[in-house]
Amino acid sequence: MSGHSSWPEWVYIGVVVALLCYVGAEAWNIERIIEHVPADAEIIKVTGQQWLWTFEHEDGTKEIGELHVEKGKAYKFEITSKDVIHSFNIHDYVVLLDAVPGRVNTVWFSPTDAGEFPIQCREYCGLIHYNMRATLFVEDKGA
Amino acid sequence: MKAIIGLGIVSGLLLILPAVRYVLAAGDEPGEYLDRRVEIWGLFYRLMIVAFTIGTVVSGTIVWLVLRFRESNPKAKPTSYEDSGTW
Repeated sequence: MSGHSSWPEWVYIGVVVALLCYVGAEAWNIERIIEHVPADAEIIKVTGQQWLWTFEHEDGTKEIGELHVEKGKAYKFEITSKDVIHSFNIHDYVVLLDAVPGRVNTVWFSPTDAGEFPIQCREYCGLIHYNMRATLFVEDKGA
Repeated sequence: MKAIIGLGIVSGLLLILPAVRYVLAAGDEPGEYLDRRVEIWGLFYRLMIVAFTIGTVVSGTIVWLVLRFRESNPKAKPTSYEDSGTW
């Protein structure tokens, strides 16, 4: 086409591409950073089943429906399921990962505030899904 | 022109490849303590700023285009086709 300047379009395309690159790179970088598990993280095995959560600490201690952890310490969850797909969610600490039968998914977190926090299944898993809850107890060191 | 483009691609790769290797290698190191909430919500807010900026620019451009090039705009001029009456 004659008499038509296309440089504003190229600027527009350039800006959009640059922003998309920024969005992708930033998201990828944050995901990479939060996936790095500290070397001293304690492993907690999390098992979902209709319709309860079971937790097993490194020392063999088992808990059902509640999980006791220490404030300021790192914990790595190894999450799996015994029956159907569930999703392990601690909303207040932005922990959310699927529990899939035959597969172990991992996520880690370090609680910064003492208190009680709800744990909830976030994948519809049957009749009592709405009540597939547990409680996270974050306790001060030595408490 | 081809030489310039080729040189650009080669020098770009020379920069990008070591950076990619460095970043991927970092995945094997143990991580540091951090607050997931701060990182994840921080990312969310940054990306929302980008999303709303793009939304504002795009919708602003569309509104300006519609108003500026409407037929009833006093500044509107007929196109060469409309002016001559032939297509």
